[in-house]
Amino acid sequence: MLDTVREIETPEGVSLRLRAAGAFGRAQAWLLDTLLRAVVFFVGLGIFSALGRGGVGLGLLLLFVLMWVYNVICEVWFHGQTIGKRALGLRVVNADGTPITLLPSVVRNLLRVVDALPGIYGVGLIMSIIDPSARRIGDIVAGTMVIHAEELPAGSRVPVAPALPLPLPLDQDEQAALIEFAERSSQLTPQRQEELANILYPLTGREGSAAIVQITAYANGLLGRP
Amino acid sequence: MQLERIGVTLRPRTPQEAMDLGMVMLRAHARPVWSAWLVFTLPIFLLCQLLAWWLGMPWLGLALPWWLRPMFDRIPLFVLSYAVFEQAPSWRVTLKGQRTWPWKRTLAALTWLRVDTNRALRLPMELLEGVDSKQRRARWRVLSRPLAGVASGLTWTCMAFEWVISLSLGIFVLWLVPKEALPDSMRSLDQALSLPAFRNALVWIASGLTYLSMSIIEPLYVASGFALYLNRRTQLEGWDVDLAFRRLRKRLVDAGLAIALFVCVVCLPGFAYAADKRSDADRTPPQNIAEVFHQPVNDKDTSFASEAANVYRDARFGQSRNVRHWVRRTPSTPQADASWLGGMFANLGAGLLNVLLWGLLAVLVGALILFALRRLRIAKASPGESSETPRPLSSIIMREMPLPEDLAVAVHELWRGGSCREALALLYRGSVQRAAAALRIPPPIDATESDWLQYARGMEDSARRERLIAIVRTWQLAAYADRYPGDADVDALLTGWPAQQVAS
Repeated sequence: MLDTVREIETPEGVSLRLRAAGAFGRAQAWLLDTLLRAVVFFVGLGIFSALGRGGVGLGLLLLFVLMWVYNVICEVWFHGQTIGKRALGLRVVNADGTPITLLPSVVRNLLRVVDALPGIYGVGLIMSIIDPSARRIGDIVAGTMVIHAEELPAGSRVPVAPALPLPLPLDQDEQAALIEFAERSSQLTPQRQEELANILYPLTGREGSAAIVQITAYANGLLGRP
Repeated sequence: MQLERIGVTLRPRTPQEAMDLGMVMLRAHARPVWSAWLVFTLPIFLLCQLLAWWLGMPWLGLALPWWLRPMFDRIPLFVLSYAVFEQAPSWRVTLKGQRTWPWKRTLAALTWLRVDTNRALRLPMELLEGVDSKQRRARWRVLSRPLAGVASGLTWTCMAFEWVISLSLGIFVLWLVPKEALPDSMRSLDQALSLPAFRNALVWIASGLTYLSMSIIEPLYVASGFALYLNRRTQLEGWDVDLAFRRLRKRLVDAGLAIALFVCVVCLPGFAYAADKRSDADRTPPQNIAEVFHQPVNDKDTSFASEAANVYRDARFGQSRNVRHWVRRTPSTPQADASWLGGMFANLGAGLLNVLLWGLLAVLVGALILFALRRLRIAKASPGESSETPRPLSSIIMREMPLPEDLAVAVHELWRGGSCREALALLYRGSVQRAAAALRIPPPIDATESDWLQYARGMEDSARRERLIAIVRTWQLAAYADRYPGDADVDALLTGWPAQQVAS
């Protein structure tokens, strides 16, 4: 089964699912960051140039900070997200799912020089198309990856109804499917809702709209509602 | 379409994630996609170049392949749409398959829809669903409502990617070709640009680079659009829920529909009759076509017969398979008396087992009763026992009591009086306080015996050091091991500093 998820199992038996982010989102985040930094640089240069020749030096220092330090600071102290990544819902983490620390962040940002060859990220683009987790060379060397940080809402949109206990125990993913159905049934056409609910006839013992009501009641029971 | 055959994990995804899934799909089926792509597009590209050269318009070599992209898009989409549900087709099958896919929509995409930025999303809808124009418009509205921005974003991003790749290739070539290898006329760009031959060469090179970058990115573009389409349909039709429900239903039916139904009946008595009506387990599969349609079927209808034969030719229906299992060469004939004897033995065995099990139960129950009785006795006996708890070994050592003026005499009196523990405690307490005074440190309230041993080792006078260590050790032995020194040892400890005040 094809998926973008990289699954990591901790020694405690908890499986972490890292949803690797590909070149599209990352390129857009980079573009956003670059535009932002350009604006900051030119505004800063405008202010500093009022100070004469020394001001230009300060402006160049600002450029240096924006190019080399901005990414590291954002990644280490702002949950692995630069402003562009935050806007796109991306996050840098270590390849084992832990938050990124200083050294990997410095390494991956220093190796931008290689990924940016020949000045327009040609190498980085090709690498992230080839690599299964869409990592560029800096990510591979530093042992990091960029993931989708935003979770889709799960279980919060189930319509409220009187709960019913399940007639027999179900696996975790089967319970999740019941909740998923209750949550998304308002987005489906009524015919499709009934079609789906009828599949579960052996569980509900009902057909048609009564089956939909029944599954919604089970979902409410699974969510611990009264 | 059979959802059970899908080779992609279905789950709700954000559009961004769906596009990344497209990249994963393309990576998994890279070989069939790109082999078919090259076989289909390379001859067309070369033809375009030939035409441009023949007409003497080099820019045509750049523009024509760009214009024909919607036609090229059919190839990756064909491969991926089959690869997701079944096997990825070879390039031969892909090329043959182009005849069966509708060309009308491709013509539209090549003409008035050429500058449509939502092409990646429109393509799978038009080529895979094949609905007529009125339905198509409604369908497009439903499909594209939340995705129009994302789809055109995909187009712009892919365009940028193509620029990045072709420019990167060009820059690398410029970097890596030594200056000496360039013809003299190209040393100066201004001069070179004035030559028409050079300008033409630039256009040829550009069209080559564009074709290369298009070959890398265009399949990616189509794959991501297809993934967006799959994700949107999963969302609209609950494909993932459908799959999960089907798996659950299969498990319930396999695990014994009767049990599930029994539970349902117990839980929901009002719906018991509904359960009887439709128990799939009782229904035998239809044996012939007449049973399926509930009416006699005209076997002599040739069109029907050929249709049926066609259906059975489908790989999903007319399958034959080999099943191997062991069969006795000589079929065993049951012998009457042996079975009678066997039955008797079986009865005997069963009876014995029955007795054994009942015996086991009796032993278990007996053991439980014994256990309960013993527990009861212990519970009854315990309050009496608690009165005989031993007196605590340690007696009260008066910490708050002020130290006597003459420590040696006080200790000696206590020792004589028989309260040895108190005597040694007093000696220890007094000694460490005097030691603290001698060392000129505030008496630490939390100092342990080992701390005092440490302090003692820091004393300069060796005799005092030895004595203080001896006192601490003696106290430790008394306090923790309940071992007491002899009278002579105590007298030795009490002479001199610290027990007796010595003018120093």
